[in-house]
Amino acid sequence: MNPSIPPSTAEYGGDEVSAIVLDSGYSTTRAGFAGEDTPKSLIPTYYGRYSLDGQEKLVFGDDVFVTPRPGLSVHNPMGRDGIVEDWDMAERVWEYAFTSRLTGPKSGNPLQNGLNDVLEGELPTDMEGVESEEKLLADSPLLMSEPGWNPTKAREKTIEIAMEKWGTPAFYLARNGVLSAFAAGKASALVVDIGASNISVTPVHDGMILKRGVQHSPLGGDYISSQIRALFKSNAPQPISITPHYLISSKTAVDAGQPPQVKLKTFPPDRVPDSSYRTLLEERTLSEFKECVVQVWPGPNKLSATGPNGVPNEEVAKSNPGRPFEFPDGYNQVFGIDRYRVVESLFDAKAAIPDPESLFPTPSPAQTVPELIKNALNGVDVDVRPHLLANVVVTGASSLLYGFTDRLNQELMQMFPGPRVRISAPGNTAERKFGSWIGGSILASLGTFHQMWISKKEFDEHGPNIVEKRCK
Amino acid sequence: MPPFKDEHILIIAPGSQVTLAQLGLPESFTPARFRFPTRMFPAEKKGEYEPYRIRERRQEVQVSNGIDAPKDDVDMKDPESAPQEAVKPETTEKPEGSEQAGDAQKPDGQETNGEAQQHTTTEIFYEEDVTSDEGAVYPLQDGRIVDWPCFFALLTHVHNTLSPPFHTPIMLISEPVWSARDRETITQFVFEKFKTPAFCLMDSALAVCYGYGTSTATVVDVGKDKADVTAVTDFIVNEHGRGLSLESCGGDYMTDRLVELLGSKGFTREMCEQLKRSNITELLPPGTPLPGAAATARQGANPATSASTGSTDGNGSDDRAPRGPGEDTQTGNGEGDEDEGVLDVAAIVSGNTSEFLANRERERAEKASTKKGSGVDQSGKPIRLPNSKKEKASFQFEEYVKIAPEADVPNGPGRYMRQTREIEVGVERFLAATPKQKSGERLTGGLLEDIATQIHHTILAVPDATKRSELWDSLIIVGNGSKIKGFTQTLLGTITQKYILSPSATMFTSEIPSNFSTPLPTGGTNTPAPSGQAGLMNHPAGHGVNPLLVAATHANNPAPGTPSMDPMSLHRSTGHSQTPTSVKTLRPPEYFSEWKEQTNTNAPGAAGAGGPGAPSTGHGMEEAVFLGAQVASKVVFVLDQGLSKGFMSRVEYNENGPSAIHEYTM
Repeated sequence: MNPSIPPSTAEYGGDEVSAIVLDSGYSTTRAGFAGEDTPKSLIPTYYGRYSLDGQEKLVFGDDVFVTPRPGLSVHNPMGRDGIVEDWDMAERVWEYAFTSRLTGPKSGNPLQNGLNDVLEGELPTDMEGVESEEKLLADSPLLMSEPGWNPTKAREKTIEIAMEKWGTPAFYLARNGVLSAFAAGKASALVVDIGASNISVTPVHDGMILKRGVQHSPLGGDYISSQIRALFKSNAPQPISITPHYLISSKTAVDAGQPPQVKLKTFPPDRVPDSSYRTLLEERTLSEFKECVVQVWPGPNKLSATGPNGVPNEEVAKSNPGRPFEFPDGYNQVFGIDRYRVVESLFDAKAAIPDPESLFPTPSPAQTVPELIKNALNGVDVDVRPHLLANVVVTGASSLLYGFTDRLNQELMQMFPGPRVRISAPGNTAERKFGSWIGGSILASLGTFHQMWISKKEFDEHGPNIVEKRCK
Repeated sequence: MPPFKDEHILIIAPGSQVTLAQLGLPESFTPARFRFPTRMFPAEKKGEYEPYRIRERRQEVQVSNGIDAPKDDVDMKDPESAPQEAVKPETTEKPEGSEQAGDAQKPDGQETNGEAQQHTTTEIFYEEDVTSDEGAVYPLQDGRIVDWPCFFALLTHVHNTLSPPFHTPIMLISEPVWSARDRETITQFVFEKFKTPAFCLMDSALAVCYGYGTSTATVVDVGKDKADVTAVTDFIVNEHGRGLSLESCGGDYMTDRLVELLGSKGFTREMCEQLKRSNITELLPPGTPLPGAAATARQGANPATSASTGSTDGNGSDDRAPRGPGEDTQTGNGEGDEDEGVLDVAAIVSGNTSEFLANRERERAEKASTKKGSGVDQSGKPIRLPNSKKEKASFQFEEYVKIAPEADVPNGPGRYMRQTREIEVGVERFLAATPKQKSGERLTGGLLEDIATQIHHTILAVPDATKRSELWDSLIIVGNGSKIKGFTQTLLGTITQKYILSPSATMFTSEIPSNFSTPLPTGGTNTPAPSGQAGLMNHPAGHGVNPLLVAATHANNPAPGTPSMDPMSLHRSTGHSQTPTSVKTLRPPEYFSEWKEQTNTNAPGAAGAGGPGAPSTGHGMEEAVFLGAQVASKVVFVLDQGLSKGFMSRVEYNENGPSAIHEYTM
């Protein structure tokens, strides 16, 4: 091609706009365009609030982890059960999730975005006052996820926000259990979702949840954190306290088990961040601890039981080499069998480490993962049970605990010796963390899904209750 | 589509201050040939922009009365005749029209050009005022696009100036902070306005990786008023946990801090800016005592690290010339200075470091005080101390001083003269990165600590935990904000004292079980990278560890993989060890000779926005993003030719529209 000849002027004339998928969890909120393989935007659902010069200010996103603000306190708009509690703030957090990385603060006025030539004298004076402010999602359909036990009121409120506040042209609300099953490429599955504040078991059949079988309990990642805290409190030579990085100025290397030598930072008393901030930052250290140290006893049998060859499991666990961990203040220690104990109560309620100060009540046997699965299966038709057991989908970031799927497999084989049990747990960390988002991304990009959207017109006609009829 | 040629590729890398651009790839990649200031001026017509300030100049017909005159400034007719051309010999090398010369070579706030107000009636001339940045619109702020029409006008200006042929693929370097919608808008603009046959929008962090020839790195880009921290693994940018446009973590922070420290001593912001760019300003690693009497005011003294600095850090080469006359040279040390720079490192290492250094400081202070009493006879002696040991040092401050217009030419061009004078600064010059007093609404521990925290956060957010150790060992620090001497070392020092794990936490210590006799090496630094042997020894605990060792230690604990399970589920994210055990920076590639670090001057505008065509000297690897853009252009447009979807072609744009760019965004 001769570089001096101008190209033919075929122009793009379409207006293809991909939908936005918003998947909100207790710990993080995921947002991205449908059709992509990971959410572009991942933000903590937590937000910070502080006041400066008498003005209340809010911070969203990761920024709060890096530089604290004076008197900062941390809040979460979601309730521990995964249902929105503070709607105003949930709306703000969600808005941040898709505006920060996806759409930008506001879709610009096409007259002023520099892409269109406005001829002189053609200035649209008549446009003024019609719609002075473009709504945030005026040109993107929106698919949102919800837990299987979301009440009708919350669902209606969600579609109201999407339609009225954000002006989305089309909306759909999908159960995150169903989405996780789709992400694993299954229309029917038993979805075991180990999240931050909840673990849930959702039977899905032909893309629909079987509502009677949905089970959930609060033994999620935050519960494991509370168990780790309990372990630290009862630690042998001296109790371990977590000092987050933001309080530390510098540290000096110490030997294992030795008291830390650290220079702490001092904040002026009126500027010290709130204890909720400290808890959030401690949680980051704990998640590092979970990644590096914590291990699920792989089975067979409980940690407290005896193994197949007559040796108590605890003895076997003790003989495994320990794992070292260093805390932000430099204190470091090797964790032996204790690293199994902190998660054992997910499978064996009796193994919970007692801690009277914990926010979480002592778990009951019915809250453990095997019991939830059993109850979920009891709640569904006998005919579909074998099929569900052959399609157990494990998802949620806390399921990434080392050895979790092995143990779950052992437990299921013990509980259901007859039917074939088959666990599918994606090896890719992102697929496990963002299972329900990925399912939403797949769903919203399907051509056949187009008829499922609730359009703005339908919403105007039928009101918010349409979500109950259409999104089953 | 015919293949693209090297000489047709257009590369544009917009930044908040300077937009780098180049047409064609040279034989050996060079720093950007064109440097445009990232700013435009509103034109007469609303919504249009000009690259230079346009002034109306009216030819006077009547006598000036200066009362009801419109506010029209009269400025130089032709920059060629302006006197500052004489002091800028580089203009002769400019490939571009020299009427654009000298743009922004003047410091801010100097353009009170001949405000001779005339009552005018006829003949309006428009002329470009190439020296002024008054009323300029900066379309990028902290990397964010704040003014789209202006940004597009800038792109058009760059495109027009370089005037590429039609068959020109365009490589645009995108700021990390741009949202998906921003990228779509830019794509639409580029395809529809420039009619380009192929377009690649590459993330700046990724471009840096191309420049360094590495697939995995933590890229820290320190800009004017922000820093971006990005973890790149296997040429994939990790969006989650990425540090985007960290507020007040750029070069301006250091200027602000210097203003805060020195403002009371009569330093203007411009002086502090030049002081920051001069080679006497330096960041000292944490724990290094400040020279002179300020030994008490240490920067968070840490005896463990102070021994590593001192005379060994190679600053001896930039000894200052003898101090000029007229300066207050007597506050420094005279006689004993020759040996001051040679610290007995052995004594420091073996003995009690802090005590040793404290004694030294005391001795020196005593010496200085006795000397003050004794007289002033040693003033002429050259002082051969490394900068970091000198209590005071001076730099050359350059400023443009307006020459009073000659009386007979009241309408003549405003003339400037470049003046330099020496200004002496104390230890404040080492404190540029220390916490500001007025930190605003952030509880920040200073520039470096914020960046260190962000690096920790970003690397911890990388989902593939086995890569984290490698990320800590491959830091790349780029951006003109990081040009200040000692920035990298000080940042590494900050990370070390806050985040590096003690060896005992990474080694099995006293609690080694009996079957475990070999201690683990610290981290994965000496052991082979785990990526190559993933299939060989797939034990989750074995990352970064000798596979034989893993086999030995886990022999009694086989991974209980059940045959019915998905084989993929054997892969674990956990079972790795904690990071960082070490932190290092990557070495820049050595085969691009033009990119070798060059000495920078503190002339105003030297590192800032030169005019287009200003010679790009003094820009080394802190602009690695542009080197990477060239490498990537070569790979994407010439070698790969779109086979691996490295760029979006016009055909694809016509079919799928701007949102398809996300499939190609690199």
